[in-house]
Amino acid sequence: MNLNFSGAVLSQAVASGIMLGGLFALMSIGLTLIWGVMKIINFAQGEFLMVALYLAYFLVARGHIDPYITIIITVPFMFFFGIGIFRATISPILKDPVMNQIMLTLGVSLILQNLALMLFSANVQSVNTRYSTWNIHLGSVVISGTQLIALVGSVLCTLGVWYFLKTTDSGRAIRASAQNPTAATLMGIDVPRTYLLAFGLGSATLGLAGSLMIPFYYTSPTVGVFLGLIMFIVVVLGGMGNLLGCFVGGLVIGLAETVGAAVFPGSLARVFTFSIFIIFLLFRPQGVLSKRQT
Amino acid sequence: MTAMLEVRGLTRRFGGLVAVNDLTFEVNEGEMIGLIGPNGSGKTTTFSMLSGALRPSSGTIAFNGERIEGLKANKVCRKGLARTFQVVQPFPDITATENVMIGAFVNTGGGRQAEAKAREELERVGLTPKADTLAKELTLLQLKRLEIAKALATEPKLLLLDEVAAGLTSTEVDVMLKLVRQLNTEGITCIIVEHVMRFVMNLSHRCIVIDFGSQIAEGTPEEVLNNPAVHAAYLGEEASIA
Amino acid sequence: MNLKMPYIRIVVIGALICLLPLVLSTFYMHIAVLVLIWAFLACAWNIIGGYAGQHSLGNGLYMGIGAYTVAYLVNRFNLTPWVGLVVAIILSAAAAAFIGWIVFRYALKGAYFALVTIALTEAAVYVVSNIPALGGAGGMQMEYRGNSLAYMQFAGQNGYFYMGVVLVVFILLLTQWYKRKRFFYQLIAVRENEDAAEALGVDTVKAKIKANVMSGVLCAVGGVFYAQYFLYVGPRSVFGEVVSVQILIYAIVGGLGTTWGPVVGAVLLVPLSEITRGQLGNSFPGSQLLLYGLVMVLTMMFMPFGIMGLADRLRQRWQHRSATPLVDSQGGEAS
Repeated sequence: MNLNFSGAVLSQAVASGIMLGGLFALMSIGLTLIWGVMKIINFAQGEFLMVALYLAYFLVARGHIDPYITIIITVPFMFFFGIGIFRATISPILKDPVMNQIMLTLGVSLILQNLALMLFSANVQSVNTRYSTWNIHLGSVVISGTQLIALVGSVLCTLGVWYFLKTTDSGRAIRASAQNPTAATLMGIDVPRTYLLAFGLGSATLGLAGSLMIPFYYTSPTVGVFLGLIMFIVVVLGGMGNLLGCFVGGLVIGLAETVGAAVFPGSLARVFTFSIFIIFLLFRPQGVLSKRQT
Repeated sequence: MTAMLEVRGLTRRFGGLVAVNDLTFEVNEGEMIGLIGPNGSGKTTTFSMLSGALRPSSGTIAFNGERIEGLKANKVCRKGLARTFQVVQPFPDITATENVMIGAFVNTGGGRQAEAKAREELERVGLTPKADTLAKELTLLQLKRLEIAKALATEPKLLLLDEVAAGLTSTEVDVMLKLVRQLNTEGITCIIVEHVMRFVMNLSHRCIVIDFGSQIAEGTPEEVLNNPAVHAAYLGEEASIA
Repeated sequence: MNLKMPYIRIVVIGALICLLPLVLSTFYMHIAVLVLIWAFLACAWNIIGGYAGQHSLGNGLYMGIGAYTVAYLVNRFNLTPWVGLVVAIILSAAAAAFIGWIVFRYALKGAYFALVTIALTEAAVYVVSNIPALGGAGGMQMEYRGNSLAYMQFAGQNGYFYMGVVLVVFILLLTQWYKRKRFFYQLIAVRENEDAAEALGVDTVKAKIKANVMSGVLCAVGGVFYAQYFLYVGPRSVFGEVVSVQILIYAIVGGLGTTWGPVVGAVLLVPLSEITRGQLGNSFPGSQLLLYGLVMVLTMMFMPFGIMGLADRLRQRWQHRSATPLVDSQGGEAS
């Protein structure tokens, strides 16, 4: 195997990895929230992001709206989209075994993916915006301006969700329901409504991700398959429901992808990412930052 | 002759908490032992260690002269030491007979033999009318009997009964009492963890009292009842002793 | 009830199915072969997913090992596929045992188990795509060597059809036979309540590994059959998440942990999706998987036990009602 180690390549890979990591963290906030609160893994989360990406794409490409202004449409849209899906499908079977809920979300992901294929064709779609060529040079390292904005957005979104959970009544209700649904019910918290809110919020963060990604990323019906898997990996690394862990996990996987791509030939870098995932699932399923439970 | 079960210095810590502390006791064949103590005194933790569900932090457990501490639960069971669970643990989506068959398969590979054995054990605990009912449709008393039938199907020499009378009505406790006494006369050695004092006091030949994980008294039910240390431990729960 | 009855039913239905080539056209015979392939794979998945209750989302891994082993050995060394079949069984057994040993030793279950299995089968896609000897991302074509059982290749569909019938009848008889044996009872115990199973002498780790090996080996056999029928293997056509999900959909819709469920699911869904694809495929690509998604969601919402599970429950209720109510004499309660 031809391993490639040059300083310039590596420092560029690290810089790109941090950018990509911020993006991965941003997309994964919703999943960690939903997983942490409801103990449901939403297998359709990647497809939710695909929906957000298509929405942002059409608003920018057809509506000629500045990508960063589309946030005011994508975020509320994704909030209500998540709530709608939750109400229609997951909420009626909340008492069923967890695996049934997972299978159901797997079904939802198949529906969304193939609906997109029917409506928008398999073509990969991307837009050129006036931000697309904006690059920042740091010595030999080039950083894309739009990716930097996404990284900043990721940090702000993490802090925002953390602040919301910490300080608002609804946020406290979500945390209480996550820790002990029965006790939360006894304390007068409307747990089903809290779940609905958490699911909506988890979906709304993807609206933000979609808007911030569309200037430099692309969309296609299957874009959510890979991004969805990345979300699982990030969340497992960070520990479910752990926001800071999610951010760290995002960075680790972002770096693994870019450094891996600089070192391993072809798409073998991805095998590297999956290996990290499997090793973590086996040895630290509770995540990097969480303490092991006895 | 050595005792059937010899426990020496059995200890279990959870973090800084010592749930069971240096417990030492013996159980002879044919005996009926009551393991009692206030809530949270470490009785169920002791059971979990004896049955292999929990690894002791230190100490030894010898069963028929063979060391079993640290063995996995399924190995312990196959050596002839079975348990019931305080919170009943049925296999909900299969019938009562099939529930018991799982236990019967410890000693037989064939489906037909296991089923015959299972029906026999259901008869023994008086659950024959419910043999073909799904476990999730049984009442609490029936589930508690099912727990015993499952354990019996493994043909244990020593049976650990964890609160089989808890949550039952007074008449139901009498039914259970009769059942357990019968098991003992049929030659099964039993250790009972129980909160319903009437149940333990009526059945046990000998009682071991633990508090905060340590043994504080041992003796016949009468001796234990008159022991001041036991009274102190149960202070406030005295009414239930009498 | 006669204990032989279920076996007789399987053989009789299998024999009757063999008459189908007399009435079906080539197009429908093709669909019939597909039904048999997927029914077999779904039955294989049912052992780990349905009976043992470990929802593997990665059985495409074993199917892929089977398909690629046979394709590689036939292409590279000119061996007969029967040798390939044996090697595929050995390799898949080793892979399933190793993966099972690691995963179950660390007590991964539920969603975590599902995620590991997805990751493994997806990793396999990328590994295989990067090995030129295995055809890389483009996969491998296999040469047609003529109508012969020795080469497991047949002109037209009928030969494959009879082979498929034999395979499905075999796996149904196997399942039915195991149903009365200790092993499957132990699997069900693991599925229903692992702690209780351990306490009753069931070595839960060993039982799960055995189930994983059995399921994996049978999936590999299905993969060999798949490769021989299509004479093509590609990373995404036999490995990966989509194939893995397709395998389990039939079992879930038909009824998890039932003998006939996976077959019923495949019989209903495969023709439906193939016809949908035939009718709408050009104007609406993806209509087949869209249909699967809808069926999956509706199954989970309205009949989580699948068609056979629902039938079992209705029958039980009916028997319950027709029997005289039994009063628990000793307990005194009339529930």
